[in-house]
Amino acid sequence: MATTASFIIVSRNDIPIYEAEVGSATKREDAAQLHQFVLHAALDIVQDLAWTTSAMFLKNIDRFNDLVVSVYVTAGHTRLMLLHDSRNDDGIKSFFQEVHELYIKVLLNPLYLPGARIASSHFDTKVRALARKYL
Amino acid sequence: MGREVSESCIDSLLTEMVSSYCNRFYANKPELAARRIEAIGYQVGHQLSERYTMERPRFSDHLEAIKFICKDFWSELFKKQIDNLKTNHRGTFVLQDNRFRWLARMSLDPTAEEGVPQDPAALAESKAAQAMSMYLYFPCGIIRGALSNLGIPCAVSADISNLPACEYPESYVLCVVMHACSLCSNGHCHGQL
Repeated sequence: MATTASFIIVSRNDIPIYEAEVGSATKREDAAQLHQFVLHAALDIVQDLAWTTSAMFLKNIDRFNDLVVSVYVTAGHTRLMLLHDSRNDDGIKSFFQEVHELYIKVLLNPLYLPGARIASSHFDTKVRALARKYL
Repeated sequence: MGREVSESCIDSLLTEMVSSYCNRFYANKPELAARRIEAIGYQVGHQLSERYTMERPRFSDHLEAIKFICKDFWSELFKKQIDNLKTNHRGTFVLQDNRFRWLARMSLDPTAEEGVPQDPAALAESKAAQAMSMYLYFPCGIIRGALSNLGIPCAVSADISNLPACEYPESYVLCVVMHACSLCSNGHCHGQL
């Protein structure tokens, strides 16, 4: 069963520092940037919702046709956003928590400037493996 | 991610860092050395705050974040909490630590100066205090980095004083003054070390 899923990490300055297509479906050529567009449009909603709760995992905050946006906000206001078409809330929450831990490990690298793009291929491989496992 | 580090390693690292920056890299420019050390502390604070807030819910306002710094963050770094927190409710907070762990093994040697004619005690004391203050830039940077990451831009300055009658003769009271950067427009808040 092919699932579409697009994952993006946005830093506190609203700059995306990582993005990946983690779903198993192939990307459509006629709407190549659709996923990024929907995720960016959802940033405004995250901004409002983040102050109403102290939880980290905000469930489904926005939808577009049959795609749903889920967001996980860290204490440093880094947003992990996932665009997906499945309804697997627990799997998504576990996915976010594991990616959060991976992100902290990247951050603890003294040669990584906070706010810069995450260019590590190791990180990329692990995120894709986690996506296959939980989504 | 719950490993620990030997305390003597931390002490040695701090001593060596201050000594390198003050005596080798920026030999006659203590202000530049201080800024570099504070910048290192800023990045470390940024990383540590992200790491220590992982397991807990996010903060709903500034006071929650400051309380986190005083309790959980300080316990992780210095194995104790802040002893006293004061605020003027207009953006300035004073954190007081009665036995600052990173300075606990440092002593001031007032007899080090020889042949100084007038007021040797006060002169030696001020030179020693100035040398001591170099060691405070790193913790100040850590606090500033942690608070900036939690969404509170601020300026942090620290002050030390001996307790008048205390059981531990080599303990220093560290007062950290922070104020939110909306007051920073005149540039005078990077104060008094």
